[in-house]
Amino acid sequence: MAWIALVVAGLLEMTGVAMMARLHQKKTIGSVALLVASFGGSFLFLSVAMETLPMGMAYAIWTGIGAAGGAVLGMVYYKESAAPLRLFFLGLIIASVIGLKLVS
Amino acid sequence: MKEWSLLVVAAVFEVMWVIGLKHASTLPEWGLTVVAIIISFGLLIRSGKNLPVGTAYAVFVGLGTVGTVVTDAFLFGQPLGLLQVLFIGLLLVGIIGLKQSTKEENG
Repeated sequence: MAWIALVVAGLLEMTGVAMMARLHQKKTIGSVALLVASFGGSFLFLSVAMETLPMGMAYAIWTGIGAAGGAVLGMVYYKESAAPLRLFFLGLIIASVIGLKLVS
Repeated sequence: MKEWSLLVVAAVFEVMWVIGLKHASTLPEWGLTVVAIIISFGLLIRSGKNLPVGTAYAVFVGLGTVGTVVTDAFLFGQPLGLLQVLFIGLLLVGIIGLKQSTKEENG
């Protein structure tokens, strides 16, 4: 159950990042609501997952899904640059965050 | 350039609310934590106007994580291991590299 909550939290975070891009394209109250609901829901599910899973690991997986997924969604749906060098540095950041959360 | 400065400030407020979530116990402390959450996300969203959101978010999370680990070490006396220092170094290399290889759109 905690694992499902964690994956849902990550997916909602990833959606939240995409909704940031949407907000800049369509400045409507609907975009704001989607953004707040995504991040809000994400935190809610993360806290449920953390009741049973170790905190560092839960954070690492949550951040990994959210940041990597958000970057991919941005590239696919919002035409953000997917130059190889950018992918490399993005990957380096996300891998380091996951590493830091796991060892902390 | 301005967008990257916004991200740094957003990350500072992120560190503040992470500390708040961990240590807040009184109503004013919780109030400040909520204010810090609103400011950090506000700045993050603002920086996504001229930066790719995937980039802005990864840098936001990265700087926030470094800030939290460093604050834990210096303010709350948590030990800082060799592996942590290594990951912090890699993370900063990633952020600087990403900044150099990202073009800002002027919206």
